[in-house]
Formats: sequence, C-alpha cells, structure tokens
Amino acid sequence: MDNFNDDLYPLALLMDELKHDDVANRVQAMRKVDTIAMALGPERTVNELLPFLHDVAQDDEEEVFAELGTKLGSFVPLVGGHQHCEPVIQILLILVSMEEPIVRDKAIVSLNLIADELNDEELHGIFLPMVSTLSLGNWFLKKVAACGLFKSIIRRVNEETRHELLQTYLKLLTDDSPMVRRAAASNLPAIIEKLDGALPADWDVILAMFHHLVLDDQDSVKFLSVDVLVAILARFRELGDDSHNSQFLASVLALIGDASWRVRYTAADRFGKLATNFGDAELAKLVDPFVSLMKDNEGEVRKAIARQLPDFCEYLANIPDGRSIIVEKIVPVVAELAEDPHEAVRAAAASKVTGLAPILGKEATIEQLLPIFLVMLKDEFPEVRLNVISSLSVVNSTIGVSLLSTHLLPAITELAQDSKWRVRLAIIEYIPKLADQLGVSFFNSELLSLCMLWLWDPVFAIRDAAVNNLKELIVIFGSEWANREIISRLLHSPESSQDDQDQIDYSNFVIRLTCLFTATKIIPVVDFDIVVSSILPFVNHLVNDSVPNIRFNVAKLYLVLAETFANSGQPNASSIVSNDILPKLEKLQSDEDVDVRFYASRSIQGIENLALKAN
Amino acid sequence: MEDVSESQQLSHTFGNDESTNSANQGSSSSIRQETPAASIDKLDQWIEKLAKCEPLSEGDVKQLCDMAIEVLQFEENVQPVHVPVTICGDVHGQFHDLMELFQIGGPCPDTNYLFMGDYVDRGYYSVETVSYLVCMKVRFPNRITILRGNHESRQITQVYGFYDECLRKYGSATVWKLFTDLFDYFPITALVDNKIFCLHGGLSPMIETIDQVRELNRIQEVPHEGPMCDLLWSDPDDRGGWGISPRGAGFTFGQDISEQFNHTNDLSLIARAHQLVMEGYSWSHQESVVTIFSAPNYCYRCGNQAAIMEVDEQHNRQFLQYDPSIRPGEPTVTRKTPDYFL
Repeated sequence: MDNFNDDLYPLALLMDELKHDDVANRVQAMRKVDTIAMALGPERTVNELLPFLHDVAQDDEEEVFAELGTKLGSFVPLVGGHQHCEPVIQILLILVSMEEPIVRDKAIVSLNLIADELNDEELHGIFLPMVSTLSLGNWFLKKVAACGLFKSIIRRVNEETRHELLQTYLKLLTDDSPMVRRAAASNLPAIIEKLDGALPADWDVILAMFHHLVLDDQDSVKFLSVDVLVAILARFRELGDDSHNSQFLASVLALIGDASWRVRYTAADRFGKLATNFGDAELAKLVDPFVSLMKDNEGEVRKAIARQLPDFCEYLANIPDGRSIIVEKIVPVVAELAEDPHEAVRAAAASKVTGLAPILGKEATIEQLLPIFLVMLKDEFPEVRLNVISSLSVVNSTIGVSLLSTHLLPAITELAQDSKWRVRLAIIEYIPKLADQLGVSFFNSELLSLCMLWLWDPVFAIRDAAVNNLKELIVIFGSEWANREIISRLLHSPESSQDDQDQIDYSNFVIRLTCLFTATKIIPVVDFDIVVSSILPFVNHLVNDSVPNIRFNVAKLYLVLAETFANSGQPNASSIVSNDILPKLEKLQSDEDVDVRFYASRSIQGIENLALKAN
Repeated sequence: MEDVSESQQLSHTFGNDESTNSANQGSSSSIRQETPAASIDKLDQWIEKLAKCEPLSEGDVKQLCDMAIEVLQFEENVQPVHVPVTICGDVHGQFHDLMELFQIGGPCPDTNYLFMGDYVDRGYYSVETVSYLVCMKVRFPNRITILRGNHESRQITQVYGFYDECLRKYGSATVWKLFTDLFDYFPITALVDNKIFCLHGGLSPMIETIDQVRELNRIQEVPHEGPMCDLLWSDPDDRGGWGISPRGAGFTFGQDISEQFNHTNDLSLIARAHQLVMEGYSWSHQESVVTIFSAPNYCYRCGNQAAIMEVDEQHNRQFLQYDPSIRPGEPTVTRKTPDYFL
C-alpha cells in the first residue's frame, strides 16, 4: 500500500495541484511538469502523464495551456527520445490551433523544436501530414498554425515535396482570411532563409508570393512584404544573381510611395537592409525615395529614416559622385530634420547625424554639418542636445578638437548652465576629453572657471561629477597645475593668509563638504609634497568642525591619505601618519557622535592593517 | 522602567502611561547601546541589496524590524533634529525617484535627512522603499529621521497597495504585518533646532503646545480621530479657523491657527507633506506653513515636480526641485508606437 502510494505520489500531487481553484496555482504546478516527468521516468511519462496532459489540454485556462505548450518543447528526452514523441505532438496539435495567440505561439515554438529532433522518417510520417492537414484546415486558426511550422520541414524534404509545400504556402498566403495571410507573410522570411538549393521553379513561387504581398489590400499584411523582400534580396545576393534587381527596385519604390504610413514606416525602418543588397545603379535611384521619406508627413516615418542616415550614406559614399550626392541632396534635408516639429524626430536625427562626419570628411563636415550640430546643441528638448554631445567624439576625430571647440564652446557654455541637471552632467563628462586635446592654456582661459562653478551646483550629482572631473583634469595636467589652479583656490586653511577677493565662503557645510570630497578624490593623484603642504592643513582644521558629517568624512579621508602615503615611498610619510594623523583620529574616536566614532575607528583599523602589511 | 534622572523631563506630564514613559526615556542616549559590528555589516549588505531595488527576504525583514523597534521605541513623539538637515515629503513607493532624491540632495549619511511619512502605497516599490529607509534609519539613527504618515497604518495600506504588494512579493501577509507593527513605533513629529516643526499632516484643535504632543501615547494604530489622527491627516486651508476636512479624518486649519501655533511655540515654520503640490513645494499662510512633496509624477501620471528643502547651519532654506528619474530599460523617447499598430 505504502509503496503504491509512493510510486503514484508525484503524479497524484500534480493532478491535485492542477485541480486547484486558483489559476496561479495551476500555472505554478504546470511549471513543474518536466520535473514530474523526470521523476516518473520515460515509460510512465508516456503511459500515464501524457494521457493526463492530453485531457488537461482540453479543459483549463489559457495561462495553463501556455505553460504546457512551452514545457512540451523540451519533452523529447523525457519520453525517452524522438521515437516516442508522437503523443507529445498530439497534445501540441490541440494547443496549436487555439484562439489565444500566446498559447498558439508557444505551441508552434515547441513543435518546431521537436521537429528538429525527429529523424527524416518520422518527419515525413508524422510532421508532414500534420502540416498538410492543418494547411487544409476548415478554420483559419489551423491555417495560421500551419504557417508557423513550414520552416522546420522545408529544408528536409526532397525537391518534389518542397515544391508542393511551397505551392501550399502560396495558397495560405492568398487565403481569404487576412489573419492567415498575415501569419504566412510574417513566417516567410524564415522559410526563405532556410531554403537551401532551391530550384528556379521554387523561386518563381516565392516571387509570386512576394508580388501577392505587395499588392495585398490590407496594410497589416502588405507591410510584412518589406521583411520578405529583405530576405529575398539577401538570398539573391548570396547566389550572385542580380537579374531581378530592377524588378525589386520597382517594388521598393512602390512600398516607399505607399499610401499607408505603416508600410512606409516599415520600408524606412529597414532602409539600410534593403539598400545594402542593391548595386551602384539602384543605390543612385534610391536617393530620391530616401529624401521623400525624410520629408514624409508622418513623424514616425521621419524618425525611422533618420536612424538610417549613416548606413545609407556609407553605401552611397562608395558609388561614383556619392559624396556630392549626399551633400547636395541629403544634407539639406538633414538640416530640415534638425528643426522638425516632432522632438522625437529631432532626437533620432541627433543621435545619428554625427555619424555622417567621417563619411563626408573634414571640409564638408565643417561647412555642412557643423551648422546642423549647433542647431541641435541649442535644441529646447534636452534629449536632442544629449544625443549630439554623446556622439561628438566621431566628429572630433574627423575635424580635430580645436576647430570643434571654437565652434562649440559657446554652445557648451550655455549647456553648462542648463536647467536640467542631466544635461549639465553630460557636458561635465565630456570635459576631460576636450581638455586632453585642447592643451593647458586654452583650457585655463576658456573652461576652468566653468569647472570650478559646477562644484557649487545645488544638485549633488553635479557636484560629485565636478569633483571627479577635477581629478581627471589633474591626471591630465599634473600636480603643479593642480596646486596652482585648484588647491590654492579651493582648500584654504584658516592659518594661511587671505588676500584675494575670490575667497570661498566656508560658512555653508555643503561647501566645506564638497571641498573635503575634492581633497579625498585628488589626494591619490597629487604629489606627496603638495598633499602635505597644501591639502593636509585644510583637512586638519576640519577635525573640529561643528557638523558631525564633516568630522566623519575627515576620518574617512585620513584613511585614503594613509593608503596613498603607504604607496608613496616617501621617508617621512609614516611619521606624518603616526604623529599627525593618528592622534587626530584618536580624538575623533571619542567624539560625541556615534558615526564619527565609527568611521574614526574604522580608519584607525585600516591604518593598522596597512602597517601590518608593510612589515 | 522608572529612572530618576528622567523625572524633570516627565514633570509636565500628567497621565504618563508606560509607552509615553519609554518614548521620553529615549532622550538620554546612553540607554541605547551602540550597534554591534556584526549588525552593521549585515545592515550594509541589506542597504547594498536594496539600493539595487531587490527586496529583502522575509527572514531579513523580520530581523530588520526587530532592530528598528530597538531604535525607534526610544525616539520621542517630537523627535529633536539638528541642522543641517534636508526635509522631504511623501515618497509613496516610487523607489527610483527616491534614488533620484539622493542624487539631488546627496547620499545619506553624508547628508542628514528628515522624511515626513508616506513611504508606502500607490507606487510599485513600497516594499523596497520602506525597507531601504528603515535600514538607513537603523544603520545611521543620527543621520536620518523617519516620521509616520497617514499611510503608515494597517487600515490604509490594505486599500492603497502596500498590502497587495507584500502579498505579491512574499506570497503571504507576514511582511506587511511586520512593517505595519513597526509603523506604530515611528515618531509622529520632529522639531528642527526648536524652530521648524515637522509632521506629516497638520495641526489639531486639541493641540496648542508642542508639549501636548509629547504627552500622547503614539505606539498604536493611527486612530480615527483625536490629536494623533489630526497630526497625520490635517491640511492647511485658505479659510480661517478650523474646518471639516474633505478627507474624512483630521481638520483643515487657517492662517490664524498656524500663526497662533507658531507664536505660542516660538517656531519659525511648520513643514508638512501629505498633499500633492505641482511644484514639489508650496507655501501657505504667508510662509508660516510649507508643504513638501517628494514623489515626482505622482502615481506615474500626475506630471508634478518633486522637491526637498535643505536647511543649513544658519537656518537658510533652499528648495531643490526635481523630475522623475530615468528608469533603466525604459524608452526615453516620448512617443513609442505600440507593435499592434504595425
């Protein structure tokens, strides 16, 4: 009795769970069905579990079916190999013609997975008749299901059957029901990709399918022809056959000029993929259609075509007179996109337009593209500005930074004070790149004051970025520069004589904290002597600050200092740590504030560990 | 429980029942022991996990709430807070916007924070939001103060989302129970350097002096009426005097009431949250009351800005406004055509 129960236990449990009132529980149970099958072993899975699932597949909710459909795809090993999987296919056959698209799609995926496991005999014996039956189904859902299954068999049948299958597919593609036509059209590219060794007669059928699609009276079917064409073009290019190109070009032009914006949108979105498969002669004929898409009435179309700019122009640049065609015909329309009424269009153009710089070369970039960049940098929509700035490095390498900066400096100064903090942030992150190539004197006169200004920004993230920026700049310009331009202005101690008027007002704790963060950040990249003479006195007097947040950040800084000193190799470094820093940390260790005490202790611990490591 | 050294602080109280007693004892910081190192490590791990918007396990929440009760039960009904401090309003489970808030105001503990309640409900990440704030509170009790809002209650959270979110994320109501039990210990008001009185809702006709708040027994579910309910529910109004609140709890109070209260208690300002304001902050009663709201694009649809108020050592106030965070993975383009159009 006990044994009997043990044996049946997993299946009984699943059955119980699958009878649960709550759908969520039943879905959960179905998720474990492969584990159950593993526990039962192949024989009992076939004999007991699958019949049960066969019943379930006819009586439950869609969520459960979808889960079942997914799980069955990996059932081949669980039933003991491909020779036993017919019952699995039977269950999936029920699911595959269900009304709910999710269930259907999962079942189709699983059936295709199983088809890959079948040997040729089984494929012809089980799968092929199933697909044929579904294709002739009396109800559109069966035909829709059939459309998804052709791709697994088409490459494994003989020439004769293949041709028959393609003829069947052509029937599906011209079915009365738009749903069937749509399913056939969307599965066609995958079939074309798998169509190895197709005969001219087969291609005739495929081309016939394509022409039906292009002329379909439903937009939602017609726009799928674009992807079909991409697949066909790629295939013909592989075969080195360009005899149909003029015919295809005519189709492309028809699609681009279609009355439905959804069709035009799809053509625009795949423009690069379409163009890459054409030769020079056809490329030249695509310029005017490209421009017409850039001027399309519908914003979505303009947005899609804007993204194709660099790709298409790169192909164009390789044909004779390509560059001048770009400058004369395309760039003027890019300038129009830069002032498009839709901000999403402008943002898309901004993210791609810099890609034209290397294609056009230095002179044309300065004359033609820089004015467009400037318009975009001043755009009221921050994303447009961000997109240009974050892709400026391409331009940088084309025309050189000095030209770029003289043209862009006014725009950068303006953006540095933008009301959106993320725009300011993007500019700050670009500064070290600029600085590296501008040289010290130009940087000091044009950008340094801006960099210092960001330190006092009301938004913490900007102050933080400004501190990091200073560190990066010191790495570029060196310690002496840091001492002269940054440390002497930023980090006074009360003892040092104050005479200049641009004295920092330390009365606000945020300012003291920012200076302290700057010190912490730059200590590792500044020479030892300068740290000791110029940074340490400033830090030391903050030990007695009235605000605990300052005091525990001083404690944190001391550890960074000690770590830097330990690696400095300076003879007096350890005496500064033990005579100057440790006593101050010990004082902080008995501070009235718990967090100051914590960080002081942690820093002392860290310094002791450093000493242990050194010995 | 009786402690002689506390007697002068208790001298003004009449019916000092046990919980008032324990709340007032908190002012002597020696009672609370320093957090042991093992707990600090654990808290730091939790904070790191939560910062990625990953909820804690049920067991960890239990431990966290136990630790939080140890901290919060010793805080006062009117928790004293020192400047500099950054004062924030409703967050409502908008976890990513809370992270944005720390980007704007600076991370805790480097910046001191005072949150005026309503951490849960409405947003999709109430669990992560309240877990994160409570973790920070336990880890840095001196650096962050978290007051109770009207949504930190068993009743309200069952209607506005926190209960359902707990059920969805943990499969049972245990975590909801743990947090709502913890909410009873949250302080209900704070006093910034004796000058700015901070609370979630507003004033109560039964409270004339701050000392009267100190006498309340706060360790309980938010009542349906009475002074504690009013502090968490009331709103300022353009009309003078006391009015009936359209919310069905608390009152509306006019400029005369605010001015009288500030005068009686020698305050410069009442800072409160509780109401959506489009600019993130809003003055009322001729700058004797300020409303601060820190959930930008409230409920992901209101289109409002959020704000926080920084108060520096010299009591200068600065408002920082901010927009919703840019969430990773979300399209930044404003108009996306759904697939079914194509």
